[in-house]
Amino acid sequence: MLEITRTLVGVVAASAAARALDGLVVPGRAFACRAADDELLLLCAPPVTDEVAREVATRLAALDPDALVIDTTDGWAAISVVGSDARGSFGLLSPLELPDAGFLQGEVVHVPAKVVAGDDRVLILVPSIWEAHLHDRAAKALGHTGPLEAHPWAVPTS
Amino acid sequence: MSEALRFEGRRVAVEPGDTVASALYRAGVRTFTRSLKYHRRRGLFCMTGDCPNCSLNVDGDPGVRACTTDARDGQVVLRESGWPSAEHDLLHVTDRLHRFLPVGFYSKTFIRPRFVWGLAERVIRRATGVGRLPAGRPAGAKPARAVHVDLLVVGGGVAGLAAAAEAAAAGSRVVLVEERRLGATVWDPRALARIQALAQEATAAGVRILERHTAVGVYEGPFVPVVGPDEVLHIEAAHVIAATGAVEAHAVFPGNDLPGVFLSRGAALLGVRHGIGPGRRAVVVTVTDEGRASAEALRTTGVEVLIHDGPVIAAEGSGRVRAVIIETPSCRERITCDTLVLSLGWAPRDALLRMGADQEVAGAGEVVIPGCSLEEAEASGRRAANGQDEAPSDVPTVPVADDGYVCLCEDVSLHDLEQAWDEGWRSSEILKRYTTATMGPCQGAVCGRLLAAFAGARADAVATAGARTTARPPARPLPLEDLASGVDESIERRTSLHDRHLELGARMERSGSWSRPTSFGDIEQEIGSVRHRAGLLDVGTLGKFLVAGRDAAELMDRVFPVRVRDLTPGRSRYLVALDEAGYVIDDGLLAALDHGRFYLCSTSGGAPAMEAWLRDWIDRWDLHVHLLDQTAQVGAILLAGPDARRILERLTDDDVSAEALPHMRHAEIIVADVPCRALRVGFVGEVGFELHHDRSRGPELYDALLEAGRPEGSQPFGLGALDVLRLEKAHLYLGQDTLPDDHPAKLGLDWAVAMEKPDFIGKPALERMGALPLERTLVGLRIEGEPRRGVPLLAGDRVVGRTTSCARSEAARGTIALGWVRTVDGSFPTELVAGDARAVVVPTPFYDPEGARLRA
Repeated sequence: MLEITRTLVGVVAASAAARALDGLVVPGRAFACRAADDELLLLCAPPVTDEVAREVATRLAALDPDALVIDTTDGWAAISVVGSDARGSFGLLSPLELPDAGFLQGEVVHVPAKVVAGDDRVLILVPSIWEAHLHDRAAKALGHTGPLEAHPWAVPTS
Repeated sequence: MSEALRFEGRRVAVEPGDTVASALYRAGVRTFTRSLKYHRRRGLFCMTGDCPNCSLNVDGDPGVRACTTDARDGQVVLRESGWPSAEHDLLHVTDRLHRFLPVGFYSKTFIRPRFVWGLAERVIRRATGVGRLPAGRPAGAKPARAVHVDLLVVGGGVAGLAAAAEAAAAGSRVVLVEERRLGATVWDPRALARIQALAQEATAAGVRILERHTAVGVYEGPFVPVVGPDEVLHIEAAHVIAATGAVEAHAVFPGNDLPGVFLSRGAALLGVRHGIGPGRRAVVVTVTDEGRASAEALRTTGVEVLIHDGPVIAAEGSGRVRAVIIETPSCRERITCDTLVLSLGWAPRDALLRMGADQEVAGAGEVVIPGCSLEEAEASGRRAANGQDEAPSDVPTVPVADDGYVCLCEDVSLHDLEQAWDEGWRSSEILKRYTTATMGPCQGAVCGRLLAAFAGARADAVATAGARTTARPPARPLPLEDLASGVDESIERRTSLHDRHLELGARMERSGSWSRPTSFGDIEQEIGSVRHRAGLLDVGTLGKFLVAGRDAAELMDRVFPVRVRDLTPGRSRYLVALDEAGYVIDDGLLAALDHGRFYLCSTSGGAPAMEAWLRDWIDRWDLHVHLLDQTAQVGAILLAGPDARRILERLTDDDVSAEALPHMRHAEIIVADVPCRALRVGFVGEVGFELHHDRSRGPELYDALLEAGRPEGSQPFGLGALDVLRLEKAHLYLGQDTLPDDHPAKLGLDWAVAMEKPDFIGKPALERMGALPLERTLVGLRIEGEPRRGVPLLAGDRVVGRTTSCARSEAARGTIALGWVRTVDGSFPTELVAGDARAVVVPTPFYDPEGARLRA
C-alpha cells in the first residue's frame, strides 16, 4: 500500500560560514538538511516555523554575525510517499539512490529537489514553481488518482 | 479448444512452450521474411534472436523476432515484407537486377534533380518491407524506474547465474537480467539442469532475477538501460558482468541465406525443445563438439543426419535448400538434402562488453571463452564475480567461399564488399557506412566479425582497417517507444497566479520554461487599459535574489557596471550584467535594502545563469556573501498605469505618493493585508508599482488589486500587450533585440555603465572597444507598412540589418520597430527599406520620450 500526500512543511534557510553551521545546535523541532557547506535547510512543522527561524537566527548570530536566516517555506512544494514500497517506488521518480535514512538532493521528476528518506517514507521538496509538475508526475508514476490530500509534516523521531 | 494464433488469417495451433517461430514452422511456414534489397526468401536460422530472418509483425508491432517471442492464444501475426505477399513476392525480380542495384546504390542514384530522392526514398522504404510503426499509441507508455545495485549481470546462462550467485553470497546487491526465460534458448538437457540448479542457488543468495528483460547498452556509470515487458529499468551498477554468450559463426558461401540453412543450436532447439524436425534429411557441417552433439540430438527427432567437417562450397536450391556441395579431402561432394546445419565456430555476443570498455564491465562465459564447457562457464562466472577479469579469447575466422551474403539484415554480399573495396572504401568502418553492412537490426552480432576479417585480410589494408566496428547501443532491437520511457516532454514553471489566469480566460503560452498569459481577450484593449487607466501583469517569473553578508556591496560593485556605493537603502537602479568580454548577458534591477543587503531582480529567463554567475564570482574572490534565490518563494505583480497609485492607495495605509515613493525607489508596505516590497519601476512607461510578496499570498493580492481597480476599469494584461508597451518605450528584450556580442554602447545602454568606477567585470574590454568606431547599432524605426519582425533592412540594394521587434502602436501612431543597422561608408544610414516598406530611423523612445508619465 502506497500513500501520496501533499505535505505542508516549514522550511527555514540558514546561510552562514561552514564552521558556524557545523557548530549550530539544531532546535529539536527541526530537521537539519545540509544543502551546502554554507547552507542549511531546517524542516519543521508549519506552525513552529517562525519560532525555529528566530531560534536559529539567535544561535547562529553568536557563531557568525553575518549569518542569514530566512523563512523560505513559500519557495517549496512537498509531497510524501508513505508505505512499505515507498523506497522502491522512489526509483520511478528519480535516478537518485536513497540512503537508509536522511537527506539527499538531486533530480526528482526531472527538477532539482531535496529529499528526506526514512524506513517507509520519503519526503520530496521541489521549488514551488514546479508544484503542479511534481503532483502530476508523482501521481501518474505511482498510480494515484484524484487530488492529493494535504497533511502537515512531522519531524522524524528516529 | 486448443490454443491458436492467427497467422495471415489462418489458425495456427500453439503447443505449450512454443515460440511464434516454432508454432509457424510446425504449421509448415518456411519463408518468414523477404530480404531487404533483393527480396530473397529467408527462413529460420539462429533461433536465438540474433539474426533478422524471422522479424514479423506481432499484434501490430513491427520487427518482432518470432523465435524469441512466446506464442499465445489469439496472437495476430503477419509477414510484412514482400509484395503482394511474402510467399509470392513480385519484388523478387530485384534479385535478378544486381547490376542495376550496385553497392552504394543510395549514394549513386536519384541525386539530381534533388526532389527525386524524396520520392524515391518513399518508394524504396515501402519496398524494403521493414514494417510500419503502429499509429495512435502513446510513446513512452512504460514507466522508467531507477535501480541501484552493486552488480548487474546480463545473461541468465550458466556463467551469468554462477557470477550472480557468487557475488550475492559475498553480500553484494545483485540483479540478473535475462532477455528470455532462463534456459529458453538452451537445448542441451545437461545445461538446462545446471541452469536450474544455479538459479536456485542465486535466488537463495538474494539475487533478483528478471526474466524477459533486455539490456540495450552500457553508458558511463556504468549505466545500463534494461527493457522489460512492463517497464524500463535504468540500472546504475557499481559493476556489470556481461554473460551474454555467443552466437554460432555465420559462414559465407553461395546460397548461405536459403531457408533450410540453420545454425546448429537453432536446429537443435527446434528439434529437442519443440519436437519439430527442421527437415527430413540434414547435412550437419561441424567443427565443434557441440555441433556433433546437436547432430546426434537431431537424429532422435527422426531427421536423417549426415555429419561432415569439410568446408561448405555452396548450398543449392530455389526457395529452400535442395543440396549442398562439401569440400572433402578427396573431392567436392554434392549431397541432396533439405536442411543444412552449421557449427563452424563462434561469434561472442560482446557488444555490451565492448561498449563498456572504459567502464567497470567484465565478461564471463562464452563472451570471453567461446564454445567453453559448462564447467568452464561456471568457473568463469565465479571468477568474474570475484573481480578476476578475463581477457576475451581469440576467435578463429570462419573460412569464406567466393560469394554469399555477409550481412543478412542489409543484404550485403561478399561481392558487394569486394566492389566497395575496389571503389576505395578501405577499412571496416567506412565499408560499414558505404555498404550498410552491420547497420541492420542485428547491429553486427552475426556479421561484424566477417566484415572486419574481410577488411583485415586485404593485402593493401592499413593496420587498423580490419578493426571491429564500434559497438553502440542498442545492442538488441527495442521498440522506439521504449526510448521515450521516463522522459517528460514538457516541464513547466508556474507562478502562484497560474490558476487565476486560467479562471480569467487567459490564453497561455510558453515563455522560456514558464507558462505565462499572452492575453486575457483583446490585446488592444489591454494596451489601452495600461495607457489610460491601469493594468495588472504577473511578473512572478522574474529572477529574484537576496544578496547579504558583509561583502555583499563589494560583490555587487565588482560584478556590475552600475554605481553601487551611493545606492542607499530605499533606492533602486537599472543594471546590465556584462561578461568579461564586455558583452551584455542580462539586465535587471538592483535595490538596496537595510543592513547592507541587496535585492536583485534579473530577467525571467536569465535567473539560473545569473545565480551561477554570481556564485562563481563569490567563490573566485572568496567573498563573504550569502546569495539566496527567491524566485520560487517570492511572487510579483506589476500594477501600472495613470490610475495605478489611486488603486493602490485604496488597499494600503502606507504612503505611496510620488514624493514618498518616487520612480526607482522601493518600500516595504502592506497591501490588502499582504506584506509587499513595492518597487517603483517603469518598463511599460507608466507609473508602475511592482509588488513583491510571499508566493502563497499571490492570489489574494491579485484578487484585491483586480477588485480595487474595477471602478477605473483596470484589467489584467499579458505578454502580447507587454510586447507593444515596452516597444513604445524602446525597452529591450534580451535575446530578441540583442545578439551575444553586444556591448552596452551598441544597444544605447552606455548610460547604464559607470565607466568612472575603478573596476567591474567587462570594464577593460569596454575601454578597448570604446576606442573603436561602432559598426552596428540598435535603432528605432518608423515603418510605412504592416509590422513584420525579422525582415531585412536595406540601404539601397544592400542589406544592412534587420528588424528585431515590430508592432503597430496607437500611442506612437504608426508601425514602430527596433532593428540592427550597420554602417555604410562610415555612417549609419537613416533611410531604409524594411522588407518592401519604407523605414526611417527615428529617436527613441517612441512614447513619452521625457519619461514624465512614468515619473508621475
